[in-house]
Amino acid sequence: MPSNSVALTPGLASFLKSLKTNPIDTSIDDLISLLKRRQIRHSRSCATATAYLMRSVISATRTSDANKLIERVQYVGRRVMAAQPREMVVGNIVRRVLGLIRDEAEDDREGDFTLSEAGSESQPQTPRALDDPSEVLSYRHDGSDRSSSRQPFTSVSATPISMFSLLSHPEPETSLPGTPASASPSGRLLGHSHNKDIRAEVLDGINEIIDELGQVDDQIAAYALEHIHSNEIILTHTSSTTVQKFLLKAAAKRKFTVIHAESYPNNHEATHATVSGQAPKDDDMLSTEAFQKPLIALGITVILIPDSAVFALMSRVNKVILGTHSVLANGGLVAAAGTRVIARAAKVHQTPVVVVSGVYKLSPVYPFDFDSLIEYGDVSKVIGYEDGDLVDQIDVQNPLYDYVPAELVDLYITNLGGHAPSYLYRIVSDHYRKEDIIV
Amino acid sequence: MAAPTSGSPDAKPFDIVATYNDLLRSDPDLTMPIAAIEALVLLLTHSPSSTISETLDLLEKSTAHLKQSIPNPIGLSAGTDLFQRYLITTLQRPGQLGPAGDFNAIRAHLLSNGRLFIRRAKESRDKIAAFGRGFVRDGSTVLTNGGSRVVASLLQKAADEKGGPSAVRFKVIYVLSSAKKNSDEPEGMETVRALRAKGVPVSTIPESAVAYAMGKADIVIVGAEGVVENGGIVSRMGTYQIGLLAKAMGKPFYVVAESHKFVRIYPLGQYDLPIEQRVIDFKTEEDVADEAKQQKAVSTETSDAKAVNTADSADVVDFTPPHLISALITDSGVLTPSAVSEELIKIWF
Repeated sequence: MPSNSVALTPGLASFLKSLKTNPIDTSIDDLISLLKRRQIRHSRSCATATAYLMRSVISATRTSDANKLIERVQYVGRRVMAAQPREMVVGNIVRRVLGLIRDEAEDDREGDFTLSEAGSESQPQTPRALDDPSEVLSYRHDGSDRSSSRQPFTSVSATPISMFSLLSHPEPETSLPGTPASASPSGRLLGHSHNKDIRAEVLDGINEIIDELGQVDDQIAAYALEHIHSNEIILTHTSSTTVQKFLLKAAAKRKFTVIHAESYPNNHEATHATVSGQAPKDDDMLSTEAFQKPLIALGITVILIPDSAVFALMSRVNKVILGTHSVLANGGLVAAAGTRVIARAAKVHQTPVVVVSGVYKLSPVYPFDFDSLIEYGDVSKVIGYEDGDLVDQIDVQNPLYDYVPAELVDLYITNLGGHAPSYLYRIVSDHYRKEDIIV
Repeated sequence: MAAPTSGSPDAKPFDIVATYNDLLRSDPDLTMPIAAIEALVLLLTHSPSSTISETLDLLEKSTAHLKQSIPNPIGLSAGTDLFQRYLITTLQRPGQLGPAGDFNAIRAHLLSNGRLFIRRAKESRDKIAAFGRGFVRDGSTVLTNGGSRVVASLLQKAADEKGGPSAVRFKVIYVLSSAKKNSDEPEGMETVRALRAKGVPVSTIPESAVAYAMGKADIVIVGAEGVVENGGIVSRMGTYQIGLLAKAMGKPFYVVAESHKFVRIYPLGQYDLPIEQRVIDFKTEEDVADEAKQQKAVSTETSDAKAVNTADSADVVDFTPPHLISALITDSGVLTPSAVSEELIKIWF
């Protein structure tokens, strides 16, 4: 992960520090301007900042009413997302927080329901989810981000089996009492406790998201040995920490060769630093990445090549491993400029392309318009201002990202494991609520 | 589909085939699966069966009968299957409508809500239009075919969206198949007129010009008669070639279909569809002569036979495999083809 920012310039670290002391509205404005000025870049920094901001927003909102909480988060979320629409992780985190609140609210409502029933009959109804075996079946636990105790059974029953929605009752939960099951006093307790600390539960959930953001690279790296074999030649691109950790994990056990495309002009300095192991002291990185050994220190042969040599070398490459900026619902991805060239070259040579990405980068947004996803950066990196005459006469562009269509990718490795691009829709539907896709 | 089938046994007091055809004719907005569900609901009204197995048996028989009497039962079977599964799962589920409850309650629910199903089915079209409007971008050109009502409503919604004729900024290339012989204009003309009335520039091309026109199109949107298990679609003849051409030219190919059109069949190819279509019909000079002779022999019925023949050739379908489809726009969201099987598995298991 590169960053040109020097320590103490505004960035993720300074934002997190100020979050504790500043009033919440100042913090929101702070993050918005940081995002607008691109002083927080990179998916993970943006995600971390958003998650911390959401945590502060929720702890500062003194209400136990879930709807008010949702409204508040939506309001803040919309503003932050609008600040930098191309950082899709911001929206992803906002959506996940909204999903958390909704899950809690539904648990709560169910608690209320059992309470009112219990008041008249002293026998609470069985939880509806257990009534229907198909619902239990249709639900699959991925055990990644939410603790199993708060699993969204209710989210499944709230949107019933979609094809049946045509025939189902207008109001599926009419007041007709079902078969009264064995009395479960816990239902009453549950309702009470939920009523009280919906906020606390949501905050717990956000803390889990933050933990996930911290561990995601290590979790992905755990799959490295399954994918990198001895004496393979791996081609990669940019200085992505996720990829580096992935390779390092494999390097501890196996010997292989890495060909590293330098990704000029936006990322070459950071890439050089990653390869040589002289990572600059990086303000954005709060973790230990700065102290990480480079691959060469572990005896791995690393070959740095210019981007233009990718096609020529591709015939000798066994596997391409790529980092990404964000992953879209259709299995396509937005990654550093040059990625599509590599993916295309790999396709021509029938070389497998593996993309490593945390689930937090997976966005429910469907890419209607690919061009709008591409961000353009500083032109002076291509032609410096010392060549002013030239800049006057020609049109220079420096796109930062590439859209890579799903058919060029063979496998995604996320912190949940390996998935085919066509399977990503399933992970999307596991992580985001349908009603939150448009915040 | 509209061909009236007269061969139904009249021993039954209630003729499901006639009911089905009447329903389809009476409401041009009705899709085949919904008409099938409606027909089955009406069947239940007319037959006072009181036990579950009796009802299921009746349903099964009538469904089989209905499927046999219709030349292309793919779209229809989506509706009958859905209805049957719905009944069975409701019966299995303990609760207010289950065995513990009253079987008559289910009947009453179904009978009293017949119109509701139709309304919901039509509403799902609006839902799809809402999901799909993002696909029609400003300044884009959409290529479409056939007479799908969902595609029509999506495009019209997109036209409305931009606020009046002056602001409409997308164009449509409409692929028209040759006109049916019993009607003087090809299917889809109605949509073309409606779009033109809204100020959308529409160009109509014959099917032979699809490859020629594809270069000018930005996206392809088609409807479907049925969406099959692997995510492919069964749709009007000619859709497959549009899909192939779109793939070859790198244009996104979107399918618009309601989720009640999902059918539980798994065709392996064009000739694996569970219907009889005489599209490819090899003949020698002898066969042609024979046929001409036969036709003369039954000259009294010539006009009738012809009508049936043309109805057949206008209703033929082909199968578009999933790898040609970029995404399916349904009322449960934008799905990749592989998500279809999951949606189907959800209701069957």
